[in-house]
Amino acid sequence: MNDKLRIKKLYALSSENRKFSFSIPLKNKIRIGKRDYVVQLRADEKHGTYILWKNRKYPVEIVRSRQNKYEILFNDISYTFTVETPFSLQRMKVLNSKKGKAEQELLKAPMPGKIIDVLVREGATVLRGEPVVILEAMKMQNEIQSPVNGTIKSVMAKANTNVMKDDVLVEIKVE
Amino acid sequence: MKINKILIANRGEIAIRIMKTARLMKINTVVIRTAVEPNAMYLSFADEVYDNTADDSEIPVFLNIEKLISIALKTKANAIHPGYGFLAENAYFAQKCLENKIIFIGPSPDALYKMGNKTIARKLALNNGIPMALGSEGNISNEEEAVAIASKIGYPVIIKAASGGGGRGMRIVRKSEEMEKFFMIASKEAEKSFNDPSVFIEKYIENPKHIEFQILGDTKGNIIHLGERECSIQRKHQKLLEEAPSCALDSRLRKKMGNMAVRIAKAVDYYSAGTVEFLLDSDRNFYFMEMNTRIQVEHPVTEIVTGIDLIEQQIRIANGEALKIKQEDVKIKGWAVECRINAENVQAGFAPDPGKIENLSLPSGQNIRIDTGIQAGSSIVSSYDSMIAKLIVSGKDRKEAIKNCKIALDKVWIKGTKTTLPFFRMLVRNHKFQDGSFTTSFIEKDLDRYYFNSEYEEMLAAWLATKLFVEENLEEDSIQIDFENSKVMSPWLLNKRVNQF
Amino acid sequence: MDLSGKSYKAFLERQEARKKQFSRKQAEKQHSKGKLTAHERIRMLFDSGTFEEIDAFVTPANQPVEFGKVERTYGDGVIVGHGKINGRLVFAYAQDFTVMGGSLGFIHARKIAKIQEMALKMGSPIIGMMDSGGARIQEGVASLAGYASIFHNCISSSGIIPQIAVIMGPCAGGAVYSPALMDFTFMVNHTSYMFVTGPNVVKEVLNEDVTFDQLGGAEVHAQKSGVTQMIYDDEENTILALKKFLSYLPSNNVENPPVIADDGSTPDVNEKLRDIVPDDPNKPYDVKDVIQLVVDRNSFFETAELFAPNIITGFARLKGKTIGVVANQPKVLAGVLDIDSSTKGARFIRFCDAFNIPILTFEDVPGFLPGVDQEHRGIIKHGAKLLFAYSEATVPRITIILRKAYGGAFIVMNSKSLGGDFSFAWPTAEIAVMGPDGAVAILYRKDLAESKNPAEMKKELVKKYRDKIANPFIADELGYIDEVIDPAVTRKKIISAFAALSNKWVKVPARKHGNMPL
Repeated sequence: MNDKLRIKKLYALSSENRKFSFSIPLKNKIRIGKRDYVVQLRADEKHGTYILWKNRKYPVEIVRSRQNKYEILFNDISYTFTVETPFSLQRMKVLNSKKGKAEQELLKAPMPGKIIDVLVREGATVLRGEPVVILEAMKMQNEIQSPVNGTIKSVMAKANTNVMKDDVLVEIKVE
Repeated sequence: MKINKILIANRGEIAIRIMKTARLMKINTVVIRTAVEPNAMYLSFADEVYDNTADDSEIPVFLNIEKLISIALKTKANAIHPGYGFLAENAYFAQKCLENKIIFIGPSPDALYKMGNKTIARKLALNNGIPMALGSEGNISNEEEAVAIASKIGYPVIIKAASGGGGRGMRIVRKSEEMEKFFMIASKEAEKSFNDPSVFIEKYIENPKHIEFQILGDTKGNIIHLGERECSIQRKHQKLLEEAPSCALDSRLRKKMGNMAVRIAKAVDYYSAGTVEFLLDSDRNFYFMEMNTRIQVEHPVTEIVTGIDLIEQQIRIANGEALKIKQEDVKIKGWAVECRINAENVQAGFAPDPGKIENLSLPSGQNIRIDTGIQAGSSIVSSYDSMIAKLIVSGKDRKEAIKNCKIALDKVWIKGTKTTLPFFRMLVRNHKFQDGSFTTSFIEKDLDRYYFNSEYEEMLAAWLATKLFVEENLEEDSIQIDFENSKVMSPWLLNKRVNQF
Repeated sequence: MDLSGKSYKAFLERQEARKKQFSRKQAEKQHSKGKLTAHERIRMLFDSGTFEEIDAFVTPANQPVEFGKVERTYGDGVIVGHGKINGRLVFAYAQDFTVMGGSLGFIHARKIAKIQEMALKMGSPIIGMMDSGGARIQEGVASLAGYASIFHNCISSSGIIPQIAVIMGPCAGGAVYSPALMDFTFMVNHTSYMFVTGPNVVKEVLNEDVTFDQLGGAEVHAQKSGVTQMIYDDEENTILALKKFLSYLPSNNVENPPVIADDGSTPDVNEKLRDIVPDDPNKPYDVKDVIQLVVDRNSFFETAELFAPNIITGFARLKGKTIGVVANQPKVLAGVLDIDSSTKGARFIRFCDAFNIPILTFEDVPGFLPGVDQEHRGIIKHGAKLLFAYSEATVPRITIILRKAYGGAFIVMNSKSLGGDFSFAWPTAEIAVMGPDGAVAILYRKDLAESKNPAEMKKELVKKYRDKIANPFIADELGYIDEVIDPAVTRKKIISAFAALSNKWVKVPARKHGNMPL
């Protein structure tokens, strides 16, 4: 089926750089020690979506997904993964080694206005295109989106304050 | 009964709590529907609903005294129960109720006023010999004065700079011999950092536990206490988990502290339910902090170990009845633990996570009590608090209560917002929590993990992420082209398209 | 034929020689940069075993060299050919950075031109995977001529076959015009860039320090210039997305797009649609929530997501059939139209029109973005582009008015008077010349100035205006919209409306082409 892509393995990298590898085609089984345990993704009216594993149901929710990045809420705890093929993993290493110091992105107000809501806090991960701040200008509510994938380094914007054009709203450490 | 209809000036779980007891006492209830949550669960428990959804004023109705009085008069409710929060401790509100001949289910305006004012409360405590954390009433000018005041206060004490903070000009002194030395050091440091050598002295309470006593009083002057609650599990002064009783108290200390609680309540002729808060230090000395003149969120744990319905007592007392329970009748049996399950993101510093609860399944059983105002489909709105439910679990002793709590927590199923469940799951497994040695600094200082996940949970989540990736990207050959319909085009159209140029 | 004979042996030797040229070492050089080789990209893109390479053995050996040295390499740094993608014939060329830096010489250009001409003759889509250092300086003017022939072919094919550029490495100088002339551009983040003049020249001439990424990286083009419509963080995702994207497009301007088997999992009636637009007209919502519930489940493929986010464009399916979607996005700049969004919308609409893709428009637009900047940069002519594109389009066009539809913006967004086929409105629609605040301020200026409590009076008048005029019923009664519908049945209505329009035919006026404002 996907021999043309020749992807035999995929890696899910957690935000703390733990690597989980799965062989493709992806089975509904996970190997622990010598045994294989069946894992299933299901949904019903009462529980919503859940994972059935070792006879126990775990509530699960896909909080957000973008290209190959996924935030999964599993049993009330949130995990963020990037799914990479062996080649893209190698590519990531290459790109990371090339990057000198960590790049910073300053997200500035595109026009003067009032901050209605700040949607992120320090340390939060953001994905490109995700809303970071709601700015009200000319009586219109405007979503200011992150231009990059990264982590919020510091938040300057405060709800219910006014900003001028080009005031820095948040500082993002580029991924 | 004088009270025949109660207007509940509150919402959510406490509104439902009040209505449950009112129903048992065969008293009618009326609640208020607001535009913020027009389909909230509490509305379906009341005998009557006053629709306030058209109200677009800036002040929310539960904080609007005039509006609440007018609703009570309109609906002919002759009593108002304020619940907790909102106007529950507002002396002016209680006064207005009185003036309009509406029974305020709570203490007198006078008690509300006095205990609401920290200075007056402390003065009352002082005058009634209630142990308190004393301090120098002003700045200390020299070492002699420092020593004198410190011995009056009692060691350990803390010297603080008058003009600044951040730990500079601050020194903890545990022995009188060290006072002079530390006084000099602190003053000098204060002068260097803030250009002002002035310092003052306060009692230093080291790693205290927060212990509070439940009080019940009637209008005939009878006041009793119903034992203590252990509330040291707090984060930024917000309580997360409460217990009754506390493993830090033995019956002697309980009696001593309980009597002090009753004494301070008597000082303001207190009636209705109330709570006296103390700090308990590692030497088993206790100090009065303040009195809360309302029913509290964590009242269920006291109800379970004493078997007394506090809301019922409040209503009876407001009705003018005398307390039927005597101090010697109050027995503490078993142990209760309450977990406040909130819609907060533990991994993001307990930041509120409002949203709609899609699925909700709460455990039930002999040892379990759930107080909630949320059902599947309810929304947690940022204008109100982020509480989803109070999970109250009991056992014959503390160990069993904690064990039952662990089991119950695993049965809680909430989908739609992030919750504090993983925090409680961690807490019940934490050794310091289990042995009871925690203090109010527990959460901020003694925890290195704020949530619990078992082995393999992260791996299962990784499996899911990978599965999604595979479905979205690697199974594309299942773009099933419907060849039957792909090439279908009417001759009319094909002819025109081909000949258009 | 004698398989051991001289001619067959020579045939095999030649094959071997060419294989050797694409050594593992070369591939590793690409990989060490985080890039795939041209061969790997082709292999990943096409259904296995279907790719046929053409001109694999062409070499630049006999080309005049103006300066420097040119290697004798088979293929001259580009792979061209045809194959099947998801069962459909597609032509492609992939520049090979490992061969002379993928530089474009005369032969290299001729190969590309050849495949472009073939694609045009066969009425099949063409994909260009760019990864090239630019013109081959050694060959001088001949390389420039090479570029020109490629551009010319792009233009000859424009609007006849879909042309998609995928930037997977450098693409600089004159080379950038090729993607600019094609219909859609995909770009790989961090390992590709596009600019007309590079950072070195920028530094020399203007003394400005700027990196490749900052000047012409994928994010810059996706967000600021709009030159690129789709960007991905790695090559595999880019190619997978490209394959998915192709499935929405027809092979040429006479055929219909491929029809996908519909699994019927999207409900035709969905009450959730009633809850999306907030009661407060100043509160924003995400129009993509509406789109997702109306089109076939998971079928919405957004284009140019990061550019002019106040307008949404993309392809989707209704019962398996491709449609183009254009929608104002109320949560960005309140969904106003401005220069960038007008241009983005106009180009998308014209593509759909060229390739017979019906257009579905979701409207919630309070007007055009005011300001000196917009006026001085020509919102007048750029806004006119959107108007022109809609009016000119002869494909079936349906509009759903979700909320605001004021003034000029109402006309521009595919109104019936512009030839829109069906216009439906939700009960929350407000169709008016102007929003309530503006209208009241003008109509009652004198009364407000003389009033003792102007704020109170204005509030009342605004309410009155909104109740009377800013609703869809007047437009409905006058026939400027076709029907006010229950949001829950939107999908059902649209499907039957498009079914009625499936044979739509409008004769275009006989002219070379209109004079669209540019």
